[in-house]
Amino acid sequence: MVLCEEGNNESSYVVCVIESLKKKITSDRFGYIKKRIEENSIKLSPITQQSYNLSKNRQTTSTSSSTDLVSNLLTKRRDDVLCAVDSREASPDDDESDNSQDEGSSTVIVGGNLSSKNSDGVTNFLPCMWSDGMTGLFGLYALRIFNISNQRMQEDQSVLGRRRIYYDTNCGEALICSDSEDEAVEDEEEKKEFKDSEDRIIRMTIQECGMSDAVLDTLARDIERAPADIKARYEILQGEKPEGSSKKVPELTVKMEDMYGDKDLDAALDSFDNLFCRRCLVFDCKLHGCSQDLVFPTEKQPALSSSDDGTPCGIHCYKLASKPDAIMAIDSHLPVDVEEPTHSLDNARNQIGSNKKKLGSSGQKTKSQQSESSSTARASSESSESEVQLISNKSPQHSPGLSKHKIGTKGGIKKSTNRRIAERILMSVKKGQREMASSDSNSIVNGCLWPRDMKLRSDTRNVIKDSVASSQYNTQSTRSSRKKDVLQMENNSSFADAQSDSMEDTNNEHSATDGCDSLRKEECVDENICKQDPHSRSWKVIEQGLLLKGLEIFGRNSCLIARNLLGGMKTCTDVFQYMNYIENSSASGALSGVDSLVKGYIKVSQNVQESLPRLPLRKESVSQPCGDGTLGVPNQRGDNYECRNMKLLLKQQQRVLLGRSDVSGWGAFLKNSVGKHEYLGEYTGELISHKEADKRGKIYDRENSSFLFNLNNEYVLDAYRMGDKLKFANHSPDPNCYAKVIMVAGDHRVGIFAKERISAGEELFYDYRYEADRAPAWARKPEGSGAKDDAQPSTGRAKKLAH
Amino acid sequence: MAKLVPLEGLGHEVVVGSLTPSREREYKITNMHTEGKHPVYAIVFNFLDVRYYDVFATACGPRISTYRCLMDGKLALLQGYIDDNSDESFFTVSWACDVDGKPLLVAAGSTGIIRVINCTSEKIHKSLIGHGGSVNEIKSQPLKPSLIISASKDESIRLWNVQTGICILIFAGVVGHRHEVLSVDFHSSDIYRFASCGMDNTVKIWSIKEFWPYVEKSYSWTDATSKFPTKFVQFPVLIAEVHSNYVDCTKWIGDFILSKSVENEILMWEPITKEENSNEGHIDVLQKYPVPGCNIWFIKFSCDFHLNQLAIGNREGKIYLWEIQASPPVLIARLSNPQVKSAIRQTAMSFDGSTILACTEDGNIWRWDEVDQPAIPNKLAIVPSKKQK
Repeated sequence: MVLCEEGNNESSYVVCVIESLKKKITSDRFGYIKKRIEENSIKLSPITQQSYNLSKNRQTTSTSSSTDLVSNLLTKRRDDVLCAVDSREASPDDDESDNSQDEGSSTVIVGGNLSSKNSDGVTNFLPCMWSDGMTGLFGLYALRIFNISNQRMQEDQSVLGRRRIYYDTNCGEALICSDSEDEAVEDEEEKKEFKDSEDRIIRMTIQECGMSDAVLDTLARDIERAPADIKARYEILQGEKPEGSSKKVPELTVKMEDMYGDKDLDAALDSFDNLFCRRCLVFDCKLHGCSQDLVFPTEKQPALSSSDDGTPCGIHCYKLASKPDAIMAIDSHLPVDVEEPTHSLDNARNQIGSNKKKLGSSGQKTKSQQSESSSTARASSESSESEVQLISNKSPQHSPGLSKHKIGTKGGIKKSTNRRIAERILMSVKKGQREMASSDSNSIVNGCLWPRDMKLRSDTRNVIKDSVASSQYNTQSTRSSRKKDVLQMENNSSFADAQSDSMEDTNNEHSATDGCDSLRKEECVDENICKQDPHSRSWKVIEQGLLLKGLEIFGRNSCLIARNLLGGMKTCTDVFQYMNYIENSSASGALSGVDSLVKGYIKVSQNVQESLPRLPLRKESVSQPCGDGTLGVPNQRGDNYECRNMKLLLKQQQRVLLGRSDVSGWGAFLKNSVGKHEYLGEYTGELISHKEADKRGKIYDRENSSFLFNLNNEYVLDAYRMGDKLKFANHSPDPNCYAKVIMVAGDHRVGIFAKERISAGEELFYDYRYEADRAPAWARKPEGSGAKDDAQPSTGRAKKLAH
Repeated sequence: MAKLVPLEGLGHEVVVGSLTPSREREYKITNMHTEGKHPVYAIVFNFLDVRYYDVFATACGPRISTYRCLMDGKLALLQGYIDDNSDESFFTVSWACDVDGKPLLVAAGSTGIIRVINCTSEKIHKSLIGHGGSVNEIKSQPLKPSLIISASKDESIRLWNVQTGICILIFAGVVGHRHEVLSVDFHSSDIYRFASCGMDNTVKIWSIKEFWPYVEKSYSWTDATSKFPTKFVQFPVLIAEVHSNYVDCTKWIGDFILSKSVENEILMWEPITKEENSNEGHIDVLQKYPVPGCNIWFIKFSCDFHLNQLAIGNREGKIYLWEIQASPPVLIARLSNPQVKSAIRQTAMSFDGSTILACTEDGNIWRWDEVDQPAIPNKLAIVPSKKQK
């Protein structure tokens, strides 16, 4: 390696080292290329030899047939060369000879040759295939992907940010049809990775010159990176070599195992979850894409509600089990709870719950099984609203003492802890209440209160209460609590807890603050959080996964989940208890894997719910096909008016023929005659975004072809590349068809319908309904044409519109 | 599908050939022939049959002609064919063989109808209809010369069996070309693979391996050609974005690809992909062969039989002769003549590269011969004709 003598100037020395390294790398590269090309040429020689042999064989096989010499005119002519077209006796020396004369004479000779040799059959006419004018029959874009239904644009088909060149065949000019700003966007790159060559320079230079700031700076300048990056990279490079590899491996394997344990169900159902389209019932759906939601937004159950009619689903149903079994279960838990004072919120709750139960089991089966304060609160809330206010006004005064006393006597619980928890809950509840108050929809609130109701019921074994009454009471209680008396819940930790659960469910915007709360909770609470809840033990990963799926599909309906997803594995009671468990633990902030998943799920489902009222579309399932699915247009019952989207769905379309249009280019013709309002077919194409359509439209405008169709706010249909024959139907201001956007099985689709009776063989036209200022000249209304002809489409692209 | 792009920077330098001619071989103009008033877009030697190594075909307007290169620099017209449709303008011509090894000519152009001419009977053998736009290039499969592929303006590539006239496969669609396809080339040894390039600036490599049963089927098909179950191939094996402008010529050199764009240079590159997943990887651009004055599209280069040299014309009528398999690339010669002023669209190199033909936009064919040696020195390439009058 060439080194600079002057060691004093470290920087120049480093530069020198870098330069020599670069030279080395470049020469290595050239050596590599040379080697590759030599290797390739060695590989090539037998290949060309083989083709040579093949071509020799052709000679022998052909000549072996005796008739060859007679029949092979090419050989015959080749052998007795008829005419040597020697139009130019040229040698490189007489370059000066007159060009024009040469060419002139040669043309004559060639012409002469051909005409004179015609008799010898030198010139043959290839029989004409088409009469004149028919040559363009297979129009430029006749070959297109024919698709029977719409297809979402593939990612790589986007023309955004791509340079597009339009070649004008008329003037032979290439035009660049893209905006300059697009290119600018394209140039932005994320941080580059270190290349092998750069690694090598870094390593070698540092080894050569040592690690110092000057060296790093010079390197940084040279490779155009930050010195810190280079240092980090060097450390990585050093780390890779000596030891790291042996260390990393076991860690990795451990991690891998964990991952497998966690992802069992996901892995097993990966293709089903991500590739299977639940709407079209096919894998790899082109229309709806991959990784869809498990259920339709509209079919989704409210996040954590259980729709139940009160009848148990079986002998293991939690509704039956909750009476005697719950006592046993809770009793068995009880010693644990008491001995190990709870530190996570859910345990605190459980304990209180179990305490209540103890109380309850000791004789009273009425509402007063709970702690006194809470029972008063509940009693009040069950009575009329005025009463609620009355009592709840009272309760703040006396209840703290009561609760303290009670907890103290029940023993084992750190009061302060409980207090603090209660306070935190209260805070979150308050926030939640405000949130709730701001939401106008009572029904949603109601729906969200359901689970709480269920829980309370099961906790207190108030099965006798009929669901209607309870729901009413719940609404009332919420209303009242929304008004002012949140304080009443300060003492009622169990109630507040339940409330906070539902808060958690309904107001996930607060998950951040909740998270903080739970963190703080964990701080103040003792360290030894008992995670080993019996529930989580017995549940396998796959079962947990299935349960999550079930929650997503059925909502909080343990009967359905157990029956459909966990049959033979878990009973309804198990599911119900586990659901409660994970819910509580998620509320308390003990974030085990499953819990966080649940939280995530709740969040998602919440978002869906929030967006529900705003969803402009209503899913129209196959089972309820009747009614025109169009938006905003009242049903028009004419002759032949029937379930229109049914015909689209079942693809009961008319036969359409493709032919030369009487107007321009291609046209679509009808094979059989149809009546008024009859469905003719679907206008299919590629679903692209409006932005994309705008970009593509630039080229289409130039080609004067128009296959864009405005579908909805999200998509434009582009039939340029893919579509069916109806895309060839031309525009007419006085059409015989009309296009209509119709909702079919949850998707917007464009149907073409007969505007009047159309007889067989007639060409189909419909009004493209361009927006006035964007319409091309040929599509403008005749009366406006004179004035607007000169105006260029100002903004946006011409897109077809439906009626 | 991910596009593979070339890596740049240190360690990925490209070897650029020097434009100083080595004068390894000297050429001089020996003949000129005016083919017609139309531009001559294609000229090609027959490398499929030893007997016809000195026979070439040209495409000029509606006319296809076959010639023979004589020893003394002369050209002999053998056959001429004119399409009845005078609007036809042939863009490409290629030699093929039927299953018996008889020579066929396949030509197509602006109308998109592919004409298959049986040269032994001088009759039309088949007319292949299907393309929805003009056909820009046709190539024959060297190992099975009754298979041809055609590249069309309709953004599709079609695989045909000229023996039976069946369109076996159509390469277009979801991940197909997004603009006119300008050039195609079969891999020289892998019968299943071919490369295509076009106005969408990409080079795509396609495989017909899984559709090979259809190819077999096409030979024995006796029913109407329209009833053949023609398949769409929508996914290429690999997409390479090596150029940033129209790519109008591509050629396999072993496992490397030579491709020419409207950027005054030809690139030799190699796709580097992970096994079984050609979506990941990059393009390794190895060498660059500069060709000045070559910035209009539809200028194509040609190679000799052994793929040692390539010849390419330019806008000004000059021809650059590169030694392909040398590193760094060697410019063998730059052929120019004051009389050749029009753009050279296509060249043809004889078996050993001693004769170079160039066809120009003004309708001429120019012949260059190597100076040192007698024209076409290869014994195999020339069988002295005995029947001369």
